[in-house]
Amino acid sequence: MDEESQVSERTATDLVRYALACHASGKPIKRENLKTHVLGNTPTRNTRPLLDRANELLSQNFGLRMVPLPSHEKTLTNNAKAQPAATKWVLQSTLPNDARQRLELAQTEDQQAILGFAATVLSLVFVSNMSVSVDQLVLYVRKLGPPQCIAAPADTREATSYASDAQMESAAREAIGYLTRQGYLDKVKLGASGGGEHSAETQATQATQATQLPTDDRHDEGMMYTWGPKARVEFQPLDMARFIAAATGQECTDEFIKTIGRAYGSNITASQ
Amino acid sequence: MAMAMDDTAHEQQMLVQWCMAAQVFTESEFRQAIQRTYCTEEEEDTEEIQPVIEQINSSMSAFSLELRSCMDQTSGIRNWALVNTNADTISTGATPYTASELVTLKTLVEGVFTEKMGNYSLSLHEALRMATKRNGTVAGTLTRAETESLIRKFCADGWLATDPDGGYVVLGARSIIELQSFFNVGFADYIRLCSLCKEMATSGIMCMECMEAVHPYCANRLASASGNQLTCPACNKHIEQPRKFGPGERGIPHIVESVAGSVRGDSVGLDEPATQSIKKLRIEDSSDDEE
Repeated sequence: MDEESQVSERTATDLVRYALACHASGKPIKRENLKTHVLGNTPTRNTRPLLDRANELLSQNFGLRMVPLPSHEKTLTNNAKAQPAATKWVLQSTLPNDARQRLELAQTEDQQAILGFAATVLSLVFVSNMSVSVDQLVLYVRKLGPPQCIAAPADTREATSYASDAQMESAAREAIGYLTRQGYLDKVKLGASGGGEHSAETQATQATQATQLPTDDRHDEGMMYTWGPKARVEFQPLDMARFIAAATGQECTDEFIKTIGRAYGSNITASQ
Repeated sequence: MAMAMDDTAHEQQMLVQWCMAAQVFTESEFRQAIQRTYCTEEEEDTEEIQPVIEQINSSMSAFSLELRSCMDQTSGIRNWALVNTNADTISTGATPYTASELVTLKTLVEGVFTEKMGNYSLSLHEALRMATKRNGTVAGTLTRAETESLIRKFCADGWLATDPDGGYVVLGARSIIELQSFFNVGFADYIRLCSLCKEMATSGIMCMECMEAVHPYCANRLASASGNQLTCPACNKHIEQPRKFGPGERGIPHIVESVAGSVRGDSVGLDEPATQSIKKLRIEDSSDDEE
């Protein structure tokens, strides 16, 4: 291996190390930080080959790969040509499902509670043609009951009964805010052309006037929640259909998947 | 061991992912993960997992990762972790802690390790005081509530722990496994090794003849093997009245010589400037006239 190749291999290895460190910290891998900590003065034209090589090393040694986090614009339109270059990535397992199930990856109770809560909220948005009004989502979450680890941080957690209506409302909004900050939800304002029915076609175009807005209830009028970037990476439509089947005690037949697809606004195929 | 060694790449990826997710895990948990991964019967003999460990370490070395372990000093349970071995800007650039939290963690880890009575522990009160004390290099202080929350976070992440009675803050398994180079380079004079198993001892008994330490677990093993008579494995003298150190104990003070040099960090970013020097000090134990 000549010197240039050795340097490239070292840089790709460093890229892997940095990606793993970000993953362990629960942070996305940001392009600007990659440049600062790993790439330095590496010419921009070499970045893609280095990322590709890093993904090879991640896949071979860790069963992981870097997947781009869709930008907020990407969550609102399916027009691939309009997508900006990726600026953030997260690591995703490349292991097959049966292997991952055998693994029983360790999770704390809080992590399990948060993941279960996120999946349930996302499924509600999923079957609502991928958009739910703020008020509606708050109502859903109040009925669902957010996990205490979100609604009340560990150092203030006590045996709370949420007896007060205001407390329940506040806990629900806090939990929704948490999911939004984590990237599971996006709070968007739809343009006039996108209001009312949310068909598969309008879902792709309704976002032209949509913008990512702050997650407080002062901006609730005309606001909707949809899936955020992290949800689109971590949850696939078919997985969501299976989750809904399991949660409702139904068999995940082809007919069931078709029914869910109608609610989702698009056909769900086995490759998704 | 009936492993499918011809299909190890996939299984090894699974194990590595499991190690990364588990962070710190017991040897028993590791064996169960190996069993699930390779779909084999659980092996009892420690030696049987050694090939797995060596294989993982061989492939992980290029990425400055290594499976390391330490023994729980009281129970004898072995804890493992996949740790970073290169504390450069790449691994520390993605630390999960803020700069302020790092300063607090470093303060507490150093405070515990250099506790003057050689007990490697701080009372909760002392830990809170130390962490909230204004540090000249960091603007602002943490409130007591914030500090308590932070200590809990450090305990949850394995860097610190509280003793079973909850009255003392001690080093967590992750610190002992991952910060070996940090302690070796900057705080060598404070290190005690068990004379039986040669691992770091932050609690145990000391032979006052040769000043060598023994873990509580190792001491029990020695005593059981020789009819409840405890003999120092270093000097072979009978230990009549063992002097204990550890949380809540009387302790045996450290004797520290002057040290100048760099203090290397670790994956969480406890690096010090290269010209750090530790003042010479000799801690007198006013109640001990044996010297």
